[in-house]
Amino acid sequence: MAPPQRCTLCRQTFFCGRGHVYSRKHQRQLKGALERLLPQVEAARKAIRAAQVERYVPEHDRRCWCLCCGFEVRKHLSHGNLTVLHGGLLEHLASPEHKKATNKFWWENKAEAQMKEKFLISPQDYARFKKSMVKSLDSYEEKEDEVIKEVRRKGLQKPEPEEGSSAPASWKGMNSQVASSSEHLSHLDLQPTPEFDWMETGQPLTFIGHQVQKTSSGATPPWMIQDEEESSGNLPIGPSYEEFLKEKEKQKLKKLPPERVGANFDHNSSTSAGWLPSFGRVWNNGRRWQSRHQFKTEAASRNKKGKS
Amino acid sequence: MSFLLPKLTSKKEVDQAIKSTAEKVLVLRFGRDEDPVCLQLDDILSKTTSDLSKMAAVYLVDVDHTPVYTQYFDISYIPSTVFFFNGQHMKVDYGSPDHTKFVGSFKTKQDFIDLIEVIYRGAMRGKLIVQSPIDPKNIPKYDLLYQDI
Repeated sequence: MAPPQRCTLCRQTFFCGRGHVYSRKHQRQLKGALERLLPQVEAARKAIRAAQVERYVPEHDRRCWCLCCGFEVRKHLSHGNLTVLHGGLLEHLASPEHKKATNKFWWENKAEAQMKEKFLISPQDYARFKKSMVKSLDSYEEKEDEVIKEVRRKGLQKPEPEEGSSAPASWKGMNSQVASSSEHLSHLDLQPTPEFDWMETGQPLTFIGHQVQKTSSGATPPWMIQDEEESSGNLPIGPSYEEFLKEKEKQKLKKLPPERVGANFDHNSSTSAGWLPSFGRVWNNGRRWQSRHQFKTEAASRNKKGKS
Repeated sequence: MSFLLPKLTSKKEVDQAIKSTAEKVLVLRFGRDEDPVCLQLDDILSKTTSDLSKMAAVYLVDVDHTPVYTQYFDISYIPSTVFFFNGQHMKVDYGSPDHTKFVGSFKTKQDFIDLIEVIYRGAMRGKLIVQSPIDPKNIPKYDLLYQDI
């Protein structure tokens, strides 16, 4: 008996020493764990080519568990108002510590060597990712600039918006947000955006308000609104009459003794033209299965006689 | 009397009957409608069918229309009655040399009813061969010929 050791993958203590790693259970657990990790890594790998920049949302703080290193890693790289999707995971995967840990993990758990490559990111790939990240940041910044210009134009054309305070509020909110994002962009060593005169000092909150139906405005509550799909002729819920009869039949069948003759005979099975029922021959002691040879020889001889 | 009982005229129909009769004894009478002994048997069958409706289903098969089955069941005397349960053939020991079928007609209706009941009970217990309750005196005698002799 080897000394007790704990396998973190199987979450079990085992006494087999080195043998545990080769057992079916361990390999199964290993496979499952790698299968769970693989999609994350693949998503990160896709991001190498086309890095996406998004506005920051608390969801981007989510962390991913790196199986090989044994600790949680930030999945997305966020800075201020922006996040680069899968940036954190990619950074971790390219790091040399992760490479060492992955090698160790593969060796200790005896996983398939071909799979290992899939979980590693080479430094060249990481460099490519950085380039594409810079590119996408640039394009994001350009888009934001355009949006600002659009809003500015609209703001000048409509000095008195119909919807009360919401339009300028949203305008202001977006504006200040873009402004703060532009400030942060400058941190990343990019060209600073031109400052607008009407910029207000920072409201870092994202504004999602718009003219929405509220109880005070007398709208119907959402649960009272009939869905479009539900309107098609309300059929009665539950089984139809024939199904009910069939269920009754099945209940009766259950009550019959299970050792009765032909209990497992499939009454609805389709049969070929040559089907013949189970019939024991006259001079044989056994049943049809044993007597089928005799019947076949008889049939053959009969056909022969008939033809020749 | 044979017009009161359902008839099967082809192999396919016989197949269908054997396969689709569920949890009931299937009685197939092989014979000809005009034969006198067949007429007696048909009379008894038709009169007892309704009483036995929950335990048995009765069909008449003309031997001339289904040569396959006539040969398969080795029918050399008519009427011959073959019993099935859930697609499986039921053998009955009547005291006669052939256990696979009942050759001839029954003496009384009660004989037939008793026989069906015994077959049904035996099938429910999983028995493929049962002992006939009919008095051996009432069983028709015949000589069974060996084939190819």
